[in-house]
Amino acid sequence: MIELCNSTDVVEGEILRRDVEGFPAVALTRHEGQIFVFPDTCPHAEESLSEGWVEDGRVVCGVHFAEFELGSGEVHNRPAGCPNLTFFTCEDRDGKVFARLKEEA
Amino acid sequence: MTMCRGSCQGAGRPDMTPVYPTAGSYPDFARLVDRDTAQVDRRVFSDEAVYQAELRQIFARAWLFLAHESQIPGPGDFIRTSMGEDDVIVVRQRDGSVKALLNSCPHRGNRVCMVDAGSKARGFICNYHGWSFGLDGGLRGTDGKVYEKDESFEKAQIGLTPVAQVASYKGLIFGTFDPEAPSLEEFLGDFTFYLDIMLDNEEGGTEFIGGAIRSEIDCNWKFPAENFVGDILHAFWTHQSGAQAILGGGVDLGKRYDELAFQASVYGHGIESNLDKVGNTRTLGYPELVDYMFDLSERAKARLGEVRARAIGAVSSATVFPNMSFLPGQNTFRVWHPRGPGKIELVSWTIVNKNAPERIKDLYRKGVMMTFSPGGVFEMDDGENWEYSTRVNQGFVTRQQPLHYALGLGSEDLERDLPGIVHKGSMNDANQRLFYTRWAEFMEHDNWADLQNGATAAPARPKAAAE
Ligand code: FES
Ligand code: FES
Ligand SMILES: [Fe+2]
Repeated sequence: MIELCNSTDVVEGEILRRDVEGFPAVALTRHEGQIFVFPDTCPHAEESLSEGWVEDGRVVCGVHFAEFELGSGEVHNRPAGCPNLTFFTCEDRDGKVFARLKEEA
Repeated sequence: MTMCRGSCQGAGRPDMTPVYPTAGSYPDFARLVDRDTAQVDRRVFSDEAVYQAELRQIFARAWLFLAHESQIPGPGDFIRTSMGEDDVIVVRQRDGSVKALLNSCPHRGNRVCMVDAGSKARGFICNYHGWSFGLDGGLRGTDGKVYEKDESFEKAQIGLTPVAQVASYKGLIFGTFDPEAPSLEEFLGDFTFYLDIMLDNEEGGTEFIGGAIRSEIDCNWKFPAENFVGDILHAFWTHQSGAQAILGGGVDLGKRYDELAFQASVYGHGIESNLDKVGNTRTLGYPELVDYMFDLSERAKARLGEVRARAIGAVSSATVFPNMSFLPGQNTFRVWHPRGPGKIELVSWTIVNKNAPERIKDLYRKGVMMTFSPGGVFEMDDGENWEYSTRVNQGFVTRQQPLHYALGLGSEDLERDLPGIVHKGSMNDANQRLFYTRWAEFMEHDNWADLQNGATAAPARPKAAAE
């Protein structure tokens, strides 16, 4: 697992972007206390999800408004051809957020 | 600007700054209105070049009505409308302010918002290539797969062109494409005194109810505008049969016509009223509304003073230059959007006091529908007249013929303690002459200093005199 940031940096309802050496940018958010980590790149047309927002337990892409359920990544309000979002496994260890990021293909 | 051929290396980046056209001067067109002989040349109703000059001189500069605040109460609520022939989105921002945006994508120009109105929009996405704009009009994104890789692409510079200025007066939102235009209140001038008859006769202000009705009429936009600015004369002929059906008698001037009736004009905006308290309200055909109006008029004395309290429901009509009109007491509110010299799109609403009882609001909604909708008793009467007044000018010989706008020459009332240029009697062409004088000022002048200090400016008056 890779360390991303202090868990206090991840604020309820907001999306934080982190750039990690060797991986595409990741995004983090907190919902009802729980932390979620996912790719910053929207699977629809590769715009940045951290420029979107969280609404009703979903990440909303600010560009074409695809909505992804936090956790499952299931897509709603789906632009044509948009796949689900894949969330990363993450943990809050002693005030630091760690996640298992996939290797770049 | 030339497009590059072959290699584009080193070519200049696109300048995506919004463009606000500047005005010119059209003295030949201004002379189509002759103040000395009180005549209007028919070319103002038919000539394509005159029409194009109107779009530039008037509709690209004047403050134009956009929406009522009540139509877009929350963030992301929007309506689509026109300013002249320009398609515009009016949208409430997250901070509660209102922006108006040209409804045309800066990519290939496609119309971005297709629907007439909506609520809680997140933004606007163009159908053609998927460019996405925020509520503020800024470009949010396109397609990252393509544009992220294009080094020359500067997203922050691109957006829907904002209408240069947006402002409200007591619930009515207006916009102008001219960054140099004076404030809305300066543009309205002392006419706000008369607008308050409709907009501020009771605590809580007004709202639009029941949606918009759209229709097309094959007439020049100035015929309906001049009709509402001061043509009560037509009511006694055009609307006689409709009035008889509803009222059981003709349109009534009011017992104190000679003493009370007047026309007032400021910068081409105009109102005529008989100050008979309920004449307009009566034509909706509901006795309950007439009772309501008598009561409202009584209560409004403290707020508006004696004269304006008598005007709330009176036989009356008004136009704000160039193309927004309303009828006090009848509560129809409308905009005449130009669609070429010989066509308009009419959008109309019902305006009521926000604090009026629900039952009263509903009677107004029904009453307006029965009278001033495309199938309404009075609207049908009017439309046909305006269509033929426009269409006959297709005749080459016909359009050389003079028109008469001279009723009430010499009837200016210098004594009356009311703001604006005031004339005696409501049956008078005075406001219409001043409407066309304002039109000529817009044709003539390329700057606001001249526009605001010409013949249509209200004479200075002692401040407190109005009450
Ligand atoms: S890029 Fe995210 S929805 Fe299109
Ligand atoms: S025209 Fe709007 S995205 Fe191309
Ligand atoms: Fe009429």
